Amino acid sequence: MRGGGDRVDERALKESFERVGEHGDEVALFFYSHLFLGHPELRDMFPVSMSAQRDRLLNALGRIVSDVGNLDSLVPFLADLGRDHRKFGVSPEHYPAVGASLLAALTHFSGSAWNARLAADWAAAYGVIAEVMIGAADGDEHNPPWWDGTIIGHERRAVDIAVLKVSTSQPLPYIPGQSVAMEFERRPRLWRMFSMANAPRPDGTLDFHVRIVDGGQVTGALVRDPGIGSALRLGPPVGTFKLDTRSERPIVLAAGGTGLAPLKAILEHLAVARPDPPPAHLVVGARTAAELYDVADLEKMAATSPWLTVTPAVSAEQDPRAEHGTVADVLTRLNTWRDHDAYVCGSSAMVAATTDRLRTLGTPPERIFIEDFGWSQS
Amino acid sequence: MSIAIYPDRLTPEFVQSVHFPVARLGRRGLDETRVHAFCDWVESELVRMLNERTALEQEVWRLRERMRETDTVQPEDGHVQAVYILSRAQQTADRYVANAQEYSRDIAQDARRRREEILAETKARASVILDEAHASALQAAGRSTALMQAPAAGDEPLNLAQRQELETELTYLRTFSNVCRTHLRAYLESLTRSIDEWEHAEQDASRPR
Repeated sequence: MRGGGDRVDERALKESFERVGEHGDEVALFFYSHLFLGHPELRDMFPVSMSAQRDRLLNALGRIVSDVGNLDSLVPFLADLGRDHRKFGVSPEHYPAVGASLLAALTHFSGSAWNARLAADWAAAYGVIAEVMIGAADGDEHNPPWWDGTIIGHERRAVDIAVLKVSTSQPLPYIPGQSVAMEFERRPRLWRMFSMANAPRPDGTLDFHVRIVDGGQVTGALVRDPGIGSALRLGPPVGTFKLDTRSERPIVLAAGGTGLAPLKAILEHLAVARPDPPPAHLVVGARTAAELYDVADLEKMAATSPWLTVTPAVSAEQDPRAEHGTVADVLTRLNTWRDHDAYVCGSSAMVAATTDRLRTLGTPPERIFIEDFGWSQS
Repeated sequence: MSIAIYPDRLTPEFVQSVHFPVARLGRRGLDETRVHAFCDWVESELVRMLNERTALEQEVWRLRERMRETDTVQPEDGHVQAVYILSRAQQTADRYVANAQEYSRDIAQDARRRREEILAETKARASVILDEAHASALQAAGRSTALMQAPAAGDEPLNLAQRQELETELTYLRTFSNVCRTHLRAYLESLTRSIDEWEHAEQDASRPR
């Protein structure tokens, strides 16, 4: 990394970060306290509880420092980070404040190991980080920093699951299968990822499938009573999970719980992307039949789409309306899927089990596309 | 310049400017007395400076020690103290949020478990009730058919058969619904009781210990 014309000593930076990193959470704690004391107006950009935020900061710093000599990988990461921060209301004038507090934290935890040379290296490195992030954010100016949304529909489909319908004040273009970060006005500064559950519609409305995460701060409010007309903020669409429109192979889709959302969007996409869609088989799994929250809709879709077959699966009870077993088990009973493209979305455990099974059944690994809902959703 | 009066301090300029008179007649070189006197003075000045230096070194060492002892209170930073206070406040807030989340997670999981237990139990009971109702109704229908088989005078045989069939069906249904009603009522009562128990248990649990 090059900054201010001076060659930054990569090894010195890594060693310095390693030393400072031994103090773990304390470093991030010091950093944010220092930042907010100097710039109290920034505190409002963050949620009440900062634990998750501190983890994210330390992870990002760790990633940056370990990649400091590897610009090919570091620059895209920083560019994403810069664009991602637009939705939080971050602007270029915030960067020097952050840099000063970062240096203060590093100085404080370096103790006697801190010296002018190290200070200059860190300042130069931060200068480059800020430059890349600001540059990427500027380059993204043709998009709004976030989209304002309104909840226009709320259907509670199961005790723990609701389907939300959202309209946005300006069009939000996305590829079916992608997701957005969402901030609910009644839970400010808590951003959670959700997949759009429909292909883009002429009226621009979006469906989201939300399941309550036990103890979660956001999902409970969204599922129980979010209030029609409540405001949301949506970040830019992200993710590479999408229909491979060039493939001619038949398709199998495996959904676990609300992992159905992006798969439903992909199915809708398939219906319009091709005049004659290839055969598609959706296996949608849940623990109990009561949690199969969208089967009526899916069956309606299958009734008008001769190329589509829907198989509900229930693992924790016997139910006459569904196959018994996990999605992986039901897939195994149905077919071999050797010639298929597979799309899998659900919990981390479900995705891992299903992917393993499909491989065993002969689906080529490069024809298995996954969306892992393993990120911490609450 | 000839030395008669020494300055307060030994300075390079002074040494540079020293000029010794030549020796008295009959002796060669510089005036020995003056040279000795100068050397004595230089020596005393050097001793004084060395002492001063040692004292300063000790002072520096003492100050350094003091700084090391009070490392957490860097002289520059009352600010660091503020950072620590704010950090502790943040940690307290974090802990409150985490505790609340944990508590709500426990309650939600507990509720889900109970809900599943109740649903499973209901299903089991419902099938028992239906089986029992079916069995009782069959019995009752059998009895009513037996009674009907003694034909009343004046009835057409065909009408009789029809009537018998209808009566049997009616008795079956009546008995079936009676049994179902009784069982359901008993079951609902027991459900209400267990909900009450649950409520009391929760109140007891949330009472401060």
